[in-house]
Amino acid sequence: MAGIRLIGLEKNYQVEERMLQVLRGIDLQIPEKKITVLLGQSGCGKTTLLRLTGGLEKPDAGEIRFDTGHKTAFVFQEPRLMPWKNVWGNVTFGLRKEEIDEDAIHRIITTVGLSEFTRAYPSQLSGGMQQRCAIARALAYEPSFIMMDEPFAALDYFTRGQMQKELLRVHAQTGSSILFVTHSIDEALTLADKIAIMENGVIKAEVEVPMEKRQRDLMDNSFIDLKRKILLLLDR
Amino acid sequence: MKNSKIGKILPPLIGILALFAAWYFACAAGIFNAYVLPSPQKVYSSFLKMVKSGELLRDIGISLGRVLKGFGIAFFIAFILGMFRSLIPAAGPYFEYLIHFFRYVPPLSMIPLLILWCGIRETTKTVIIVLASFFPMYLSIVKGFTGCDQKLIEVGTSFGYSKARVFFRIILPNALADILVGMRTGLGYAWRAIIGAEMVAASTGLGHMILFAQQTSRTDKVIVGIIVIGFVGLVTDRLFGWLIHRFFRGMAGNGWD
Repeated sequence: MAGIRLIGLEKNYQVEERMLQVLRGIDLQIPEKKITVLLGQSGCGKTTLLRLTGGLEKPDAGEIRFDTGHKTAFVFQEPRLMPWKNVWGNVTFGLRKEEIDEDAIHRIITTVGLSEFTRAYPSQLSGGMQQRCAIARALAYEPSFIMMDEPFAALDYFTRGQMQKELLRVHAQTGSSILFVTHSIDEALTLADKIAIMENGVIKAEVEVPMEKRQRDLMDNSFIDLKRKILLLLDR
Repeated sequence: MKNSKIGKILPPLIGILALFAAWYFACAAGIFNAYVLPSPQKVYSSFLKMVKSGELLRDIGISLGRVLKGFGIAFFIAFILGMFRSLIPAAGPYFEYLIHFFRYVPPLSMIPLLILWCGIRETTKTVIIVLASFFPMYLSIVKGFTGCDQKLIEVGTSFGYSKARVFFRIILPNALADILVGMRTGLGYAWRAIIGAEMVAASTGLGHMILFAQQTSRTDKVIVGIIVIGFVGLVTDRLFGWLIHRFFRGMAGNGWD
């Protein structure tokens, strides 16, 4: 299966005098064209794993093998838009001038529902719109993988639900490969094709979610069972 | 629309008129000797005479040229050094302490040395203006360049930006507001240094005009000079503000509003 293969990844941080082991031997297959969710409590190392996989940091040991090309884009917890650029400028921020295909950019901006705000500046957009702009910026880069680090954590309940739906729609339209970090089990169940449960710097379990995403109902018995299973895994 | 325009112009106008009225009545009441404080009418008639003879406009032109030249050079050096500190942080300590040492040295105290080194022509005058306007600009520019949010820089890194591209596409535009505030302060300091600069064997310029008027006991001309410097300074400030507004429209606060 093509995608990214993580083999024996380790990462330590020096905090004052102490050596902190954040990742202790991660082995994981991240499939392409799917949404893989890293789920775990705060401090379990999931953001570090995402940053290593996306190349923002280097592992102390282990290997990251790309089968599908090495181009990754990030969507962070905060939108991190450039305040001096409008929506268009921010969406094309990852591209060089000669790489900008205006039609494609217009399509992406329409996909995330910002077509009427192309000339608006970040300060004029709501939090949800800013995060959609950040997603469009990642899509416009045409990455082989999109790394998402709790991108909806700062949004309110209703906006978060709406953004999850939109992400699924964008994913269905573009077939992008996504690695998604969250600490919300419901969010993981809504989005994931595969959930990797992390604890204390290791992958504790991998759970496949076989259900069709369009019709996912978290109140459905099968999902409640799955949720119970994940909660048990996280508790132990 | 009309109301808001009046509302914009009226308060500053009232302030100016109040100052002139106080001046006028103080003179009319004879509180001050006419030599210590000449009346507004006297200052105005001297002003008209100086405009007619052309000396005032010539002095304005020459001083403006000196100010802009000194300011331009100071800005260029401050920008390059600030950029250097941002791109190569390790380079900072080599010149940082020297800069702060000279920041505390008044440019006027350098005049004897500058005359020895640069002579009594334009170079010395320019150097004095550079010394006066460089430091506030340098401080603002460094603050802008080094204060960039790491999270924004990381966006560039995540898109595979080179160091130079991060600088020109993220750090520089992010620092723009600070740079513009620094330029504004620097321009003010450049104008304030004009007397010091034109103390050195000048025969032209507004600074020289004021100093010469002092020697000939023409207080009215001194006041004309002061008003003209303040006015020309204000106009250049607004002109810069207008240009910046045109070029950076839509950007968050530029410090020139």
